[in-house]
Amino acid sequence: MSQAVVDRLNTRFGGRILRWGEAFGDHEVRVALKDWGEVAQFMKDDAELQMDHFIDLTAIDYPERESARFDLTITMRSSGNSARIRVRTHVKDGEEPDTLSHVWAGANWAEREVWDMFGIKFKGHPDMRRILLYEEFVGHPLRKDYPIDKAQPLVPYREVGEIDKLPPFGIEEGQPFARIDWESRLAGGDNQVSPSIGVQQGQRRTLSDSEAAEQIQARIEVRMAREAEAAQASEETTEEGSGD
Amino acid sequence: MEPADELLNDEVALELSEDPMRLNMGPSHPAMHGTIRMVVDLDGETLVNLDVQPGYLHRGFEKSCERGTWAQVFPYVDRLNYVSPMLNNVGWALAVEKLLEIEVPERCQYYRVILGELSRISDHFTCNGASAMELGAFTPFLWLLKVRDWVWDILERETGARMTHSFGRIGGMAAPPTVNFKDDVLRLIPELHKVVKETEIMLLRNRIFLDRMQGVGVLTKEQALSYGVTGPVARSTGIPYDVRKDHPYLVYDRFDFDVPVGEDGDNWDRFMVRLEEIRQAIRIIEQAIEQMPDDGPINVDDPRIVYPEKDDVYTTIEATIAHFKLVMEGLRTPKGEVYSFTEGANGELGFHIVSDGSGTPYRVRVRPPCWYNLAAAREMLLGGMIADIIPTFGSVNMIGGECDR
Amino acid sequence: MPTFILDGKEIAFEAGETVMEAAWREGIEIPHYCWHPGLSVAANCRMCLVHVESGRQMAMPQLAFDEATGEYVPATKPKLQPACQLGAAEDMVVSSTNEQVQTAQASVQEFLLLNHPVDCPICDQAGECKLQDYYYEHQGTLKRKLTEPVHKPKGVRFGPTIVYDAERCIMCTRCIRVCDEVAKDHVLDMRERGNRSEIILAPGRELDHRYTLMTEHVCPVGALTSQDFRFKARVWFLKSAPSICTGCATGCNSHADYDPRNGKIYRLRPRDNADVNKFWMCDDGMMTYMRHDTDRLLMSTAGRGEDRMPVGEDEALGLAAEQLKNVEGATLAVVLSAQHSTEDNLALAKLAGALDADRLYLAALGGWEGDEILRSDDNNPNRAGATQAAGGAALKSVADLVADVQSGAVQGVLALGWATAEKLEELTPVADLEHVVSLASHVGALPAVAAVAIPVADTFEIDGSFVNAKGMTQAFRPVLPAPGGVEPAWKTISDLAGKLGKDLGFTDLQGLRQGLVDEAEAAQ
Repeated sequence: MSQAVVDRLNTRFGGRILRWGEAFGDHEVRVALKDWGEVAQFMKDDAELQMDHFIDLTAIDYPERESARFDLTITMRSSGNSARIRVRTHVKDGEEPDTLSHVWAGANWAEREVWDMFGIKFKGHPDMRRILLYEEFVGHPLRKDYPIDKAQPLVPYREVGEIDKLPPFGIEEGQPFARIDWESRLAGGDNQVSPSIGVQQGQRRTLSDSEAAEQIQARIEVRMAREAEAAQASEETTEEGSGD
Repeated sequence: MEPADELLNDEVALELSEDPMRLNMGPSHPAMHGTIRMVVDLDGETLVNLDVQPGYLHRGFEKSCERGTWAQVFPYVDRLNYVSPMLNNVGWALAVEKLLEIEVPERCQYYRVILGELSRISDHFTCNGASAMELGAFTPFLWLLKVRDWVWDILERETGARMTHSFGRIGGMAAPPTVNFKDDVLRLIPELHKVVKETEIMLLRNRIFLDRMQGVGVLTKEQALSYGVTGPVARSTGIPYDVRKDHPYLVYDRFDFDVPVGEDGDNWDRFMVRLEEIRQAIRIIEQAIEQMPDDGPINVDDPRIVYPEKDDVYTTIEATIAHFKLVMEGLRTPKGEVYSFTEGANGELGFHIVSDGSGTPYRVRVRPPCWYNLAAAREMLLGGMIADIIPTFGSVNMIGGECDR
Repeated sequence: MPTFILDGKEIAFEAGETVMEAAWREGIEIPHYCWHPGLSVAANCRMCLVHVESGRQMAMPQLAFDEATGEYVPATKPKLQPACQLGAAEDMVVSSTNEQVQTAQASVQEFLLLNHPVDCPICDQAGECKLQDYYYEHQGTLKRKLTEPVHKPKGVRFGPTIVYDAERCIMCTRCIRVCDEVAKDHVLDMRERGNRSEIILAPGRELDHRYTLMTEHVCPVGALTSQDFRFKARVWFLKSAPSICTGCATGCNSHADYDPRNGKIYRLRPRDNADVNKFWMCDDGMMTYMRHDTDRLLMSTAGRGEDRMPVGEDEALGLAAEQLKNVEGATLAVVLSAQHSTEDNLALAKLAGALDADRLYLAALGGWEGDEILRSDDNNPNRAGATQAAGGAALKSVADLVADVQSGAVQGVLALGWATAEKLEELTPVADLEHVVSLASHVGALPAVAAVAIPVADTFEIDGSFVNAKGMTQAFRPVLPAPGGVEPAWKTISDLAGKLGKDLGFTDLQGLRQGLVDEAEAAQ
C-alpha cells in the first residue's frame, strides 16, 4: 500500500527521488530541497495518491554532517486508502525550504515549531515567528550545540504596542504584601524597593500614592492630547474631503 | 484601579471605538485547560481574529530525552498527556520495540490494552466532565470525576500511582498484573456504564447544553484533514480514522468494537463521540479481560533489554552486569529511524525516534495529537462568539503537557 | 601490500603480522582480553576466536541438540582460531561475526563469568570493564550455574601501589607479561591451575619496580587496582583530555582524567605513541597528576618573611615592574624553567632581551634516576625547550646563580618556575637581594625567596609545547581552566613587559609561536 506511493513518486519524478526505501516498517523517499514544495503539492493533488491527511513535520540536527546539517521530514497519509509515506530532505544551515502551509494547514504550526527549535526559516510562511518559546529567547534549543542547561538572559518587561499599563504588582494596585523590601525599609531607607523583577532591572520602584496619582494623571493627559490630535486630524481630512 | 470617572467629561465621553477590541484570554484562565493564551480581536461579541499562543507549558521534553537513556524517557512521556498516561507509556514502549523489532508476550499485550483503555476512559471522563462544567453543569462533572477516581484506584493498585504511572517498560511492563486485577476491573464496569448513563440523562436533553454545543465550533472534514487533526475531533467531522482499526497494534485486531464517527464536526459531535468511545472502550476491556491469559511472562526474556530480577542482580554477576549496562548506558538499539504511532486519547500519538546505535536517543520527536487539534481550533472559533470559546476549546481537549511538551 | 578479508572487508597486512594486529591497525576490534599490542601473544583467553572460512577446514566433534528428536546427536563444528595468534595470509577469508564465532564468544564469556564475584558496585573497573562490555555485546544470558562461585583471596596487597583481587582475575597474564617485558622484572607469576589459579608474587618480593601501575593499566578487569585511585572516582563521571607527562624528559603522552564537576584531575593513563612511550608510563610519571592541585601558588604576594602580604594581580605586576626597573640589565639574572613550556620560556627570554639582560640561567629539578626502559636521566620535561628558547647555548644552573649573587655580579633576579634542585637554605644569598621577582605555579624554593611572587598557570592549564630528550617537540592543550585570575606564564610575562613599557613582539600565543617558527627557520 505504501510501497505503491513510493512507486508512483518514482514514476512521476524519476531521478529527482534521490533515495527511497523501507526500514522498520516505514516507507520513505528523499528529495532535494529545491523539489520539496513541488513534490509535496503533487502528493496532495494527485488523484492516485491523495495524501490529504497531514501527520507531522519535523527536523533532525546532524551538526557533524558536512553535506547538510538538518534533515527535514514530513509524514502524511491518505484518508482514502490509509497509505503512509515519509518524505525527507536535507537542509543546510541557513537554507530556507519552501513553506507547505498552503498545501496542508497543519504545516503552519509545524514549521513555526521547526523555526523555533532549529532555526530553519521557511520561505513564504505567513507567520514565521516562534511558537513554543517567547520572542526574546536566544538560540534554537533543539540544535545539538545548544547546551540543555544554558541560562537565558533576563528579559525586561515587554512594551506592548498602544496598551498603556503599569508593570504589574505595584503598591498602589492594592497588592502590597510580599513585595516590600524589608531590608531597605528596616534600614530606614525612603525607597520601598519592591522585589519584583522589574525592579531588579532597575526599572521601577513602588510609587507612593501621590506619585501614582501623578502618573495616572499624566497618562490621562497624554491620551487626551492624542485623541484631540486625532480628532483634529480627522476634522482636517473631512474638511478637505468635504469639497467634493 | 484607574479612576475611570475622571475620563468621563463632556469632551471625551462615550466615544465608542470602531476598531476591534483586543482581548487577552489566558494563559492563566480557568477555561484555558492548562496554559494557553488566546489573543482575540472582538467585534462586539464576535471573534474577528484569533491568535492561539501555546507554549506556556513547554518543558523541553524532546531535548531532555537526548540526555538520558531509552528507559529514562518513561517518566517524561507520562507527563505528556497526563490524563491518559498509560497510553503514552504504551506508545513509547511500542516505539522503541519497533526499533528493536521485538514483540512483547501476549499476556503483556492484553495488559497494555486494558490499562490503556482504562486511561482512555479516564481522559474522556475528564474532557466531557470539564466541558459540561464550564457550561454550568457542575453535577455531571463531579459524577464523572467520581468514577474516574475509581478507575484511578485500579490503576493505583496496578501501577502504584494514580496519574503519572511510569509503568511501561521497553520489552514489557514494570510489574505483572495483581492477583485481583480482573475482578477489580469487572466490578468497576457496571459503575462506569451507570455514570455514563446518568450523564446522558442529565445533559443530552438540556436546552442550554444543546444550544451551546450543537452547531458551535464547526470543523469541516477538509479542514480537519488539512490541519492534521486526528482522534475524536477528526472522527466528529466524519473521518473514520482510528489507528486501532486502520493499523492495528498490540492485540486490537482480536476485539470486536466500533469506532463512533460524527457528521457535523461541531462540539456536540465531539462530545457524543467521546461518550460513545467510553462505551466502546469498556467493550474492549471486557473482551480483553476474557481473553487475557492468567499466567505467562509479562516481559521479553532478554537481559539486554529488560532489567533482570532483583534477586538475580544481587546474587549473580551476569544480572549485575546487565543491570549496570542498562542503567548506565541504556539498552542498545540498532542505528536507524522509526515512526511509531498509536491511538492516544486525542488522536494519533506518534513517536519519531532517531537512534545512533547507542543507549541514548539521538532525537525524539513526539507527534502530539492535540497540537494539530489546537491549530484547527482557530477554524472552529473564528466567526463565532466569545462565549463559544469555552465549550469549543473544552471539546478540543487540549492537554497542555502533550501540546507544549 | 598483501591483503586478507575480514568480515567482508579487505585488510592490508605486513608480513608476519597476525590477524588481530592487522585488524587493530585498521581500527577494527576483534574482542579480546589477553592480547595487547605492546606485549607478546599469550592466546589464553580464547575470546578472539575467529573462523577461517577459506582453505582447509578443520572440524571438531561436538554434540548438537536435534530439535526434531529432542536428543543430543553427534555433529561437528569448525575449529576456530585465535586471531591474536593467527598469522595473516594472502587471500585468507576470516569471519569474526558468523554464528559459530558468536556461540564461541558467548561461551567464553560465560565461562569467564562463571566464578566472577558480584563486585560491580564496588569495583573500580566498572564503566571501563571489558567483562561488562563483552557480556552485553556477546553473551546477554543469565547465569546457569547453581553452585557457589569459587572463592579466592581478595584485596591482596601486592606492593605499595597495587592491590590484587584473585576472584576478579581472569588469568589473562597481561600483568605477568608487562612485568617481564616492559619492566624487565619477573616478579609476578601464576600459581595452581584450573579454577584455582591466581597470580602470585615471586617469593620474598613485593611488586615494587617502577612500572607497577602499568600492571593495573593493562588489567582488563578489576583484579589489579591502584591504591592511589581506588574508590576515589567513578569513571563515568570523568572526562578525558590528552596531555604530556611532566615527570621527565621522555615526555610520555598521557590522558588526564578529570571530573568536570569539581575541576580535579583524578589520574593519568598512558596514551599510545609509538615514537615516544609506546603504550607505557612509569609510576612517578603517573603520579604527576597530583601536581595539579598540590602546593599551588594561587595568590600574588609581596614582601618577604613576616612582611609577606597578598596583593592584587595588577598591583603585583606593578610592584614587579618597579623592582625590575631598579636593576640594571647587566646585573639582572633571568632564570628560565625546565618545567615550563617552551612558549613560557621564550616569552621570558624575549623580556630578558628587551631589558638587556643576558645573564640567563636554567632552574631544573635534580636527584633522579633514569633507566633504559622509559625514564630519561633528566626529570625535567623541557630542558631542551628552555635552552632552545634562550638561543641554543647551554644555560648556567641555579647553583651558578647563587655563586654570582654572592660575588655581587647579580643584583636582581627574575625567575620563572618553582622547580629547582636547590633547597631553600642554599638560596639564602638570593633571599638577601632586594629585587627578586618570581613567576611560579607552585610553592617552592624560588617563590619562597622572592620579594614579589606572581602565580602562573600549571602545565595542565595551558597551551604549550615541550621538547623532549630526543629533540621531539610535543604540543599539549589545557585540560582544565586555570584558577581565577591566574594566567599562563607567557601572558603574565607579556603583561609585565607592558608595565615596563617594552614591546615583546607578540600579543597572543599564535604570535609567540610564530616567533618560535621564525627563529627555528632563521637558525637553519
